[in-house]
Amino acid sequence: MKNKLSRRHFLSLVGAAGGSSAVYNTSLALGLMQESGPVAQLDLKHIGRRKKKVAVLGAGIAGLTVAYELERAGYDVTVIEASHRIGGRNMTVRHGDIIDEMGYKQVCNFDDDPEMYFNCGPARIPGHHRRVLHYCKTLRVPLQIKANFSRPAYRHDPERFEGKPVTVARYTSDSRGFIAELLHKAADQNAFEKPLSTDDQERIREYARGFGDLNLQGRYKGSERGGRKSGGFVTPAKIHEPLDIQSLLDSDFWMGDGAFNSENADWGEPLMEIKGGNDGIIKAFVREIKSPIIVNAPVQSIELRDDGVDIAYNRKGKRKTISADFVFNSIPTHFMSGIPNNLPDDYRAGLAALTPGNFFKIGFQMKERFWEKEGIYGGITTTNQRINQIWYPSHGIHSQKGVVLGAYTFYDESEFFEKMTPDERLKYAADCGDKIHPEYSRNIEAGVSVPWGRISHMMGCGTSWGSGRSWEGGDEELREKYYKLLQQPAGGRHYMIGDQISYHSSWQEGAFGSAEVALLDLDSRVRAESGESRKG
Amino acid sequence: MFLAFAVFSWASVFAEDDLPVPAEELVFCTVCHGVQLMGNSIIKAPRLSGMETWYVERQLKNFKNVVRGRHAEDPFGYEMQPMAESLSDEQVAEAAVFANATRSPAPPATVIGDIEKGKAHYSACAACHGVDGTGNEALGSPDLTIPNDWYLVTQLMNFKSGARGSHPSDTYGMQMRASAQLLADDDAIMNVVAYINTLQNK
Ligand SMILES: Cc1cc2nc3c(=O)[nH]c(=O)nc-3n(C[C@H](O)[C@H](O)[C@H](O)COP(=O)(O)OP(=O)(O)OC[C@H]3O[C@@H](n4cnc5c(N)ncnc54)[C@H](O)[C@@H]3O)c2cc1C
Ligand code: HEC
Ligand code: HEC
Repeated sequence: MKNKLSRRHFLSLVGAAGGSSAVYNTSLALGLMQESGPVAQLDLKHIGRRKKKVAVLGAGIAGLTVAYELERAGYDVTVIEASHRIGGRNMTVRHGDIIDEMGYKQVCNFDDDPEMYFNCGPARIPGHHRRVLHYCKTLRVPLQIKANFSRPAYRHDPERFEGKPVTVARYTSDSRGFIAELLHKAADQNAFEKPLSTDDQERIREYARGFGDLNLQGRYKGSERGGRKSGGFVTPAKIHEPLDIQSLLDSDFWMGDGAFNSENADWGEPLMEIKGGNDGIIKAFVREIKSPIIVNAPVQSIELRDDGVDIAYNRKGKRKTISADFVFNSIPTHFMSGIPNNLPDDYRAGLAALTPGNFFKIGFQMKERFWEKEGIYGGITTTNQRINQIWYPSHGIHSQKGVVLGAYTFYDESEFFEKMTPDERLKYAADCGDKIHPEYSRNIEAGVSVPWGRISHMMGCGTSWGSGRSWEGGDEELREKYYKLLQQPAGGRHYMIGDQISYHSSWQEGAFGSAEVALLDLDSRVRAESGESRKG
Repeated sequence: MFLAFAVFSWASVFAEDDLPVPAEELVFCTVCHGVQLMGNSIIKAPRLSGMETWYVERQLKNFKNVVRGRHAEDPFGYEMQPMAESLSDEQVAEAAVFANATRSPAPPATVIGDIEKGKAHYSACAACHGVDGTGNEALGSPDLTIPNDWYLVTQLMNFKSGARGSHPSDTYGMQMRASAQLLADDDAIMNVVAYINTLQNK
């Protein structure tokens, strides 16, 4: 039981959004894809007066990218979006915004203040997500550094250390001290499969001393790295006694020690976020795109014909149809089984093989930034209570109020929260917070909960092949069978896009990447029609 | 037990332009139950196209009053239950009329079983659900040819185990619960559903 719990938490902590990067694609058959360094030049052929019609289904990151690029290349674009809002899973809520949870519509009750916002979806952008950053730069979307990892934040296990939170600094430092001692001893005894030279033995001992801050004898006696107990500036420094090793080993963070979080490929410090809320990229797209984006218009059917494709959608109580030459479809694949279409059977089987995940977040507006009094400025506390995490804002330091993330969960924990009413969720998360910060719940002024598995027109985040967690990569056989098929246009006209068609589901980079693949394919076809070919 | 992927074949019914359009407050029903409430096997929300108004209304009220859908062993009922909570009585009535008006092709058969054996079992069902499976309003028993076959399987299992039909106010559910005991095991359930698949509309 104990071990099972640890593993679950390890996965949720290390995995969180998009750990599927662990299976980074080495075999992308598309020779044009450049997956690192500067972003590939799309260089779409401008089709001039031979205008072609394109329907884009869904106005999330993938759909908006396609609309933006094709409009600039002369295509006649229409975007059809089911929801009342544009942005899809890229959603930031502020005062008065609707959270369209089916069955429990919520209205965000934060103060009417632009600094009081909550990123319900994307929150982190690492420097190697070249496509995200390319569009932020091109569209002049300002970024700032977001602290993801914080040493003064906490690890909290209600069953260890008397249920008191332990700072990340102390927890990490003591864990490393312990491991470093073992390594030092192994080097002393030359206890390796192949004995080391005396020089190499000493090199390893030195590394171990550096790694764990051991004394010259290779013993760990506590370290300033764990934070000082007192003093250090005008009085002598006192350091903490090392934590009890057995309790460290028993605690759920042993495996999932937050120390490793920032070593996850997509969480490497420093991370970034968009100033004023991560929907800044959506606002920029909306500002730039002149083509119609029709909201409140759920797609009703997709019919491929020899010479085009017909899309039916509902709008203001009426059923409408548009005909296009090409369609770019970012509708979550799990809805495609409920939308009539004549896509080829194997293609539909591929869509049906993708399973949605169910990320869940809570945001609280706090009337005072009490965490700053504890020396915490941004970053994450992890707990093995069901809320998993508490995030502190990186913006608005020393202002009066702030919005804290009060829960971020996946799979079983998300289901646990989904079954509650919104009020019950907030109450539950507030109680968890009190176990970590004594001032937590009395500072809560307002709160929202966002169960992505219950949000209308979304019902999920983090697709995987077959069943299982998105960051575990899913069933490789299913991916093998269908992934490349879904990257190809059905009937030469229907492109499936979205982070769901990538190796980075639940990361915007995957959504941008899927759009890029589809656009490059379309461009090759359009050029081929006029006897050209793509360079590159 | 089930065919791997149930996929719908294109049917001209979707091209008709007089198909009913849901009122704004009922659009979310189609998010799970699909366009024209055609059903979605991934979300496990059954087909409701053309379902009897009286039966839909009764189920929505049961969900709303927590007579159905809050049993610990009824995960899919649990998905649906909160969806009815926020509906007013007028919206319940409106939803039932909408469901009845929707049109979609018969769902594909995905359940495999022994049709002959199923036919024998079905003789016990016909008294209430009719020889052709289309139900009997006077007895309160619904048309079994409307929902997807995988849904009929979960319902029969739920009735048998008591996950559905054991709430003291669920008069109709209790009748069906008693009848489900006639099906000895999972095989019997698969067989009878395989037979229902051969009945009209399917
Ligand atoms: C909790 C959470 C945390 C995340 N954290 C990060 C992060 O830190 N960094 C990061 O980069 N990414 C993160 N992501 C992932 C990021 O949000 C997604 O990768 C990205 O927004 C997906 O864009 P998309 O265009 O592929 O799909 P979506 O945004 O899902 O777009 C699909 C669109 O289709 C619409 N639609 C649905 N049905 C229909 C229909 N019938 N007709 C018409 N339209 C329809 C939907 O309303 C939606 O607008 C996170 C996501 C979540 C939920
Ligand atoms: C979140 C997804 C979801 C939404 C939204 C939803 N449903 Fe359901 N519904 C389901 C599921 C899943 C079931 C199957 C329950 C079961 O297996 O017992 C179901 C079952 C039903 C049933 C019972 C059918 C029967 O044959 O007994 C009715 C009626 C129904 N839904 C109507 C509606 C209506 C009307 C709406 C909109 C007001 C709606 N549903 C919205 C998921 C949903
Ligand atoms: C005594 C009458 C009676 C008999 C006999 C009977 N049923 Fe039912 N059945 C009902 C009633 C009434 C309901 C509706 C329950 C409710 O309203 O929740 C029902 C509901 C069902 C449902 C759920 C349908 C849905 O849409 O959710 C299934 C499936 C079903 N019956 C199958 C069977 C089968 C198979 C048999 C034979 C083994 C059978 N029934 C025998 C009365 C009966």
